[in-house]
Amino acid sequence: MAGGGGGLGKPERAKRGKHSKRKKKKRIGFHLDMTPLVDITFLLLTFFMFTTTMLKPQIMEMRIPPERYEKVEVRESELFTIMLMPDNKIYWYAGQAREDNKPEEIPLNKLRALAEQQNLKPNVRNRLITVLKIADQAKYEKVIQILDELNLAEINITEQLSKDLDAEGQPVKRQRKFTIATLSETDDDFKLIQGVK
Amino acid sequence: MPKVKKKRMGFVIDMTPLVDITFLLLTFLMFTAKFKSEAENEQQFTIKRPYATPDTTKLPERDLAIISIAVDDKNPLDTSFYFSMTNLNDKARVWELAEVPAEYSNLALVKVDSLMLSKLIRSTLAVRNTTKFALDADKEIPFKWVSQAMDIMRLQRAFIFNFVTEKRKASETKESE
Repeated sequence: MAGGGGGLGKPERAKRGKHSKRKKKKRIGFHLDMTPLVDITFLLLTFFMFTTTMLKPQIMEMRIPPERYEKVEVRESELFTIMLMPDNKIYWYAGQAREDNKPEEIPLNKLRALAEQQNLKPNVRNRLITVLKIADQAKYEKVIQILDELNLAEINITEQLSKDLDAEGQPVKRQRKFTIATLSETDDDFKLIQGVK
Repeated sequence: MPKVKKKRMGFVIDMTPLVDITFLLLTFLMFTAKFKSEAENEQQFTIKRPYATPDTTKLPERDLAIISIAVDDKNPLDTSFYFSMTNLNDKARVWELAEVPAEYSNLALVKVDSLMLSKLIRSTLAVRNTTKFALDADKEIPFKWVSQAMDIMRLQRAFIFNFVTEKRKASETKESE
């Protein structure tokens, strides 16, 4: 028995006093008034329940390469560029941006499918370099969302690639090539978008 | 009916299971509760973190250096870098090595410019080179702040760091799909 008895204990005993002829009950164990204990426990419980936050921030790991100054030559066909404009719109193009290969706008929710499709193109399979060009004024939130979509695309890409076998008969390992650059207004691709508008 | 019915005086409920469960919850919440760190107590800003897909990698607690980029609550034009560390022993040494001005030396969180930030990052790596870095920025911050912080980290040879994010809720996932 826990609380309940607390308030009732006293009057009961007083009654017993009146009928003193009554046989004394044999004591079995003992009765502890738990009411104050329960009171304080509930108080603490409510306090901790209201103050605890269960959500812990999570992380997205980034590795940045050391500064290197020698030029690396890449094939034009192996480039896949995603641009985040100052107005937070996303554009993309494969290869080099030209008059006949203008950057196209893409909504964020289609980006994953696009990244998968581009990375699995037969001629550049596993060799594609994703370039993310971000304007200085773009929101940090958008950058994280794009990185998140690209990370999600990676799941499918890795899975698809592991079905291929390399020269030694081992499943192909995904080699992710990724770079972040600043998008400036003087860039050719930026100017092309201005033209699109 | 041989027995005389006892007069009822109120009623008694067996509270034992209730108390059991209450204690269990209480102990659980007490042990999991984490109190605000000194740095969080000092901060004059609130960070709304960007949302990312739920991940199992959580923010490490030990030996972490946090670079926050946030807007001051009272002055919305005041965006700045802030630097804090979870390992307080290391913190004292880093502060000393980076020559943090005396008036800030007692603070757990310092507001820094890019020069001071690079000094602090360099000192952090000098004190303990396994320290992890976390970049905790408000989601509304223009990317140039983040890219500046990344450039500083690159120059100070802190090549691996973490973006601090919040778990994306189901409703938002739907929205984007």
